[in-house]
Amino acid sequence: MLTLVRRVVAALGLAGLIATLFRLRGRGGVPPQSGGWRELDEGELA
Amino acid sequence: MAHLTVALAGLGTTGTHVVRHLVDGELGGLLPVDRPLRLRLPDRHVEDQARAERIIAGRVPVEFSPVVGEQPPDVAILATPCRTHVSVATELLRAGSHVVSISDSPEDVIELLALDELARANGRSLVVGAGMAPGLSCLLARLAGDQLDEVDAISIAKAGTAGPACARQHHQALKRPGRDWAGQGWELRAGGSGRDLAWFPEPIGARDCYRGALPSPILLHRRYPEAQRLSARVSATRRDRLTSRLPMLRKPHQDGGPGAVRADVRGWRDGAVETIVYAVAAFPSAAAAAVAVGAALRAARGGAPMGAAGLSEWPNPNEVLADVRRLGISISTFTGS
Repeated sequence: MLTLVRRVVAALGLAGLIATLFRLRGRGGVPPQSGGWRELDEGELA
Repeated sequence: MAHLTVALAGLGTTGTHVVRHLVDGELGGLLPVDRPLRLRLPDRHVEDQARAERIIAGRVPVEFSPVVGEQPPDVAILATPCRTHVSVATELLRAGSHVVSISDSPEDVIELLALDELARANGRSLVVGAGMAPGLSCLLARLAGDQLDEVDAISIAKAGTAGPACARQHHQALKRPGRDWAGQGWELRAGGSGRDLAWFPEPIGARDCYRGALPSPILLHRRYPEAQRLSARVSATRRDRLTSRLPMLRKPHQDGGPGAVRADVRGWRDGAVETIVYAVAAFPSAAAAAVAVGAALRAARGGAPMGAAGLSEWPNPNEVLADVRRLGISISTFTGS
């Protein structure tokens, strides 16, 4: 019985660790390759 | 001479910027010639009062009293923490004041919109979501949407927080489901999911943004019900996401520093698909205050629609955007791919 509990706890712990790694690693996309930001002047808000 | 009384509930980081914007005079042209400004500020904390008096420096008359008071103000700006706005807004509308709320809680936004009938019955405007996001996000989306024949998708992204109450709301938002509009109905998606790299003007640059309990889509759907996709995301670090299910592990900063908001609007113009992106990089506290002040002074002059509405529903929202710019907040557009 104790062995079963240990195995369940270990399996849950491992699953949690893998889920956390998937959740936290990686990036969300590709940054723009060209262009940039330009400030609007007052006329463009008219 | 009768004064134009502007009441402020909440003298935190954003509330202090509201006071600064109101007395610095850049929007002086919005005040009626025969009605000089008078401020009504909260009377709760002596330190906050002293700070406000230093900013005001005798330039406008000020009274420290409850927001409704014996005489209702012409307009009230609610800059208190989320979940405190609905009861105060109800009281103010009943008393006959215009109300501007900067709450970014989806529950607040839904409950404030439900006060539409009360606001209309009293002939007053209730501006819902007049901060950075929602608020500036709605104004930027509308600026882009007005240039398209048809709006297909709007994606809002926000980075940074204002004061401690805003930081707590950001923490709350990340652990709760986000509400995206998906053409036929609302989709609830897990908070902290849907990683998307959003590109903001400098000094913010690229930030990973995630879904969360964010109210911008709720307000944008009222203006663009035909859109197929309305979504909002908020930037978060790995630590933010890892600890989002836990209580805040340390006290939030008094001011979260520089932040940004962007609206990415895709639609059709002259038969071709087009994407227009507008963004603002600024301290969220200062930007939210600028939006609230512009909206409040416009509402006091009858420039806001009657009833409860977000800024994207205003007949001339670019006027508020121009006010925001006059208050020192630069608006940018992305050109490139």
